[in-house]
Amino acid sequence: MQEVLSVWGVSKAYPGVTALEDVSFSLRRGEIRALCGENGAGKSTLVKILMGLVAPDRGSIAINGQTQVMRSPQQAQGLGLGLVAQELSLAPHLSILDNIWLGSAEVPFLHRRAKLRLRAQQALATLGLADWDLDRPVGSLTIGQRQLIEIARLLARDARVLILDEPTATLSDADIDRILGILRGLRAQGRSIIYVTHRLGEVFELCDSVTVLRNGAHVTTGPVSEITRAQLVELMLGRSFNDMYPKAAARADRGARMIVNNLRVPSAVHDFSMVAPRGCIVCIAGQIGSGANIVTRALAGLVPSATGNVMVDGRPMRLGSVPHCVGRNVLFISDDRAAEGLFPQLTVLDNLVASRLSAGARMGVLSWRELRRIGASLAQRVGVDRKRLTSQSNTLSGGNQQKLLFGRALASTQPGVLLMNEPTRGIDVGARAEIYRIMQELCDLGAALVMTSSDLDEVVGIADIVITLYRGRVVARYQGDDIAMASILSDITHITHSIRSVA
Amino acid sequence: MTKNSAAGTDVAVRAGARTRLDRAPLFAWLQTIGIVILVAVILATPGFLAGPSILALLTTVSFIGCVAIGMTLITISGNIMSFALGATVGVTAMVFILATNRLGFGAGLLVGVIFGSLLTGLQGLLIGSVRANPIIISIAALALIYGVTQVFSEKGTIYADQGTVPALAKGKIAGVPIEFVVFLVSAVIAQFILSATRFGRNLFMVGSSFRAAEAVGVITWRTITGAYLWAGFFTSLAGIMLAIRYDSANMDYGVAYDYDAIAAVLVGGTAIGGGGGSALRTFAGAMVIAAVQVMLLLKGLRQEWQYLAAGLIVLAVIVLQTRGSGR
Repeated sequence: MQEVLSVWGVSKAYPGVTALEDVSFSLRRGEIRALCGENGAGKSTLVKILMGLVAPDRGSIAINGQTQVMRSPQQAQGLGLGLVAQELSLAPHLSILDNIWLGSAEVPFLHRRAKLRLRAQQALATLGLADWDLDRPVGSLTIGQRQLIEIARLLARDARVLILDEPTATLSDADIDRILGILRGLRAQGRSIIYVTHRLGEVFELCDSVTVLRNGAHVTTGPVSEITRAQLVELMLGRSFNDMYPKAAARADRGARMIVNNLRVPSAVHDFSMVAPRGCIVCIAGQIGSGANIVTRALAGLVPSATGNVMVDGRPMRLGSVPHCVGRNVLFISDDRAAEGLFPQLTVLDNLVASRLSAGARMGVLSWRELRRIGASLAQRVGVDRKRLTSQSNTLSGGNQQKLLFGRALASTQPGVLLMNEPTRGIDVGARAEIYRIMQELCDLGAALVMTSSDLDEVVGIADIVITLYRGRVVARYQGDDIAMASILSDITHITHSIRSVA
Repeated sequence: MTKNSAAGTDVAVRAGARTRLDRAPLFAWLQTIGIVILVAVILATPGFLAGPSILALLTTVSFIGCVAIGMTLITISGNIMSFALGATVGVTAMVFILATNRLGFGAGLLVGVIFGSLLTGLQGLLIGSVRANPIIISIAALALIYGVTQVFSEKGTIYADQGTVPALAKGKIAGVPIEFVVFLVSAVIAQFILSATRFGRNLFMVGSSFRAAEAVGVITWRTITGAYLWAGFFTSLAGIMLAIRYDSANMDYGVAYDYDAIAAVLVGGTAIGGGGGSALRTFAGAMVIAAVQVMLLLKGLRQEWQYLAAGLIVLAVIVLQTRGSGR
């Protein structure tokens, strides 16, 4: 078989992080290749490089045996590469036809050409959707149907290599089956697919071969038939993952710290209730769109429309005001570290003491010595080099930046509630273990930890209590030995998904 | 299964490190070199070191400088700049003269300062609480200020009554014009607010990342309103000093001050995007700009050239700053 895409020695470094290091692989005609790796392994950087969105520092790419320098997404498209990104990029008010040709360089100024219509029709027919009305607005379609339009868009441009980034993350089971069927059909036509996914079940069900990345480096590429699920997990993590999480047995329920009753956020969370005990970790598990991360945001005071009864240490807490929640020692670490966590221009020290300025201030005037003392002790506790206290915080690696945010939580004199969304997303294995250690320290101090995570291994590994969420409603609660991957997975995907994914 | 070799890894890492290091120091160097050249040219200009032009420089720079100090706070708070500060200078001068004529000098000072602070603080309240676009708000405020003052001052210029402004206020302290002393003290006060108070820290946080500041519990609207209140305070000092110097007030007093002020802020190295900067550096920036303008004046070039020079300086700084931050 012929190689449609080859990548040699591609490297890319961002300030403070090496995103990709000397990655090589090749893709044959009619091959479905799974691209696996933890968050932060370099998958999305690789995809961006292939699509001409990011220029590699070194390395080359060849399409059909010819070396190409990708300068722009338009060029990548012209060469037959197409991407369905994780977030859909359709304009809901425009028709299917318009969306299929949106942004294409081929569209002439007066674009209602019969030829374009015909090609759009053909693209839909390839997907077995010949009966769809091209003039229907995309907004009237379900999420799954829109996903198909994204694929049709690539086919209309005659993409030979389709890159799909987590295409099934937000889909229902029936839609997933349909997409997988369509992808097999495209393979039969000789198209190649790079399938980025966290769902190991789909790797074994759909893909021919798998490429594993870890910390930006290529770990292995090989046929799916020669590998087991357990081996694949081990390759992704670089070790067997059981030893990474702190022992839950060391933690004991020491009474409720936070009690939530009937938390509601319009069109996102319906009647959420929970008890977060002192010294325990509660995981709220759910897929994108389940509302899990909105629960934590609401409890942090960041959602103005949230309603419900929340008690912290026996006192009621008002929702919708962050200063009030911070006053009750309810702190929040966002999953969007860049936009909602870090102060990029400020120093490491300033970042650490951000929520503790009152301790170092008298009548509004700061004591630099006191703040430096607090900052230095926090840096030591979270494992950030004290020499870096005066560095600008955006020069730190992602893992160290996340440690700073945890440092803020440690800064409060009394243990309270720490809410975290995806606390280890995009963080390498070493920093991850550090962060688990800090979480354990917070538990030992008597804080209640509430976190969301899309990494189910992490959920099973670290949680004392798991609450599963599907479309804003609680599906089930698990505690201690009842916490199991299979039941959590079937809860958050709602139907019989467990049969497939836990192969 | 095929394993990948790790050859060439070192090269990639080193190459990455070099591009990372390059830009910020480069910017700092260019800035330093630029300032050194500028100072050399200025000092080489005949007549510059003569007493009168130095004194003229120290006085002119003080009016713009106080506005620039105020602008620094707005820029650090992440709200880029205000186009209304120049108009605030004019209207504060008027309010000061009117109040002084009726209530006396001391009360006039107080009324002027409070008026200027509140006028700008109100804009900050709008910007902070409803997250209105700061540029649009400042342009609207500019139009409103001009519109309202037009109604009240038909003749254009209003004059102070004889003997209301004490001669002492126009004097010198140790040979230095009193305006310059006010400017210097303002810069020191602003720097103290920025680096030694809780409010100052909050200001940097809000400017660096509004959402992150909100998430750690900073009361963002209060911080932004505070920044504008202080900006109004320092701006009103410029208006009052102008009124004292000329015994009169006119809306034209503050024309183009916003522009010169932002130029001073940028030349001082305060990041246009917010979250970084210092009042003392703005002080230096204002001195550089004023020196250039005096030099052009001494060389016999007209007003237009001064605008051109300020424009070029700002453009150069913006371009260098953008490159320096690697964007």
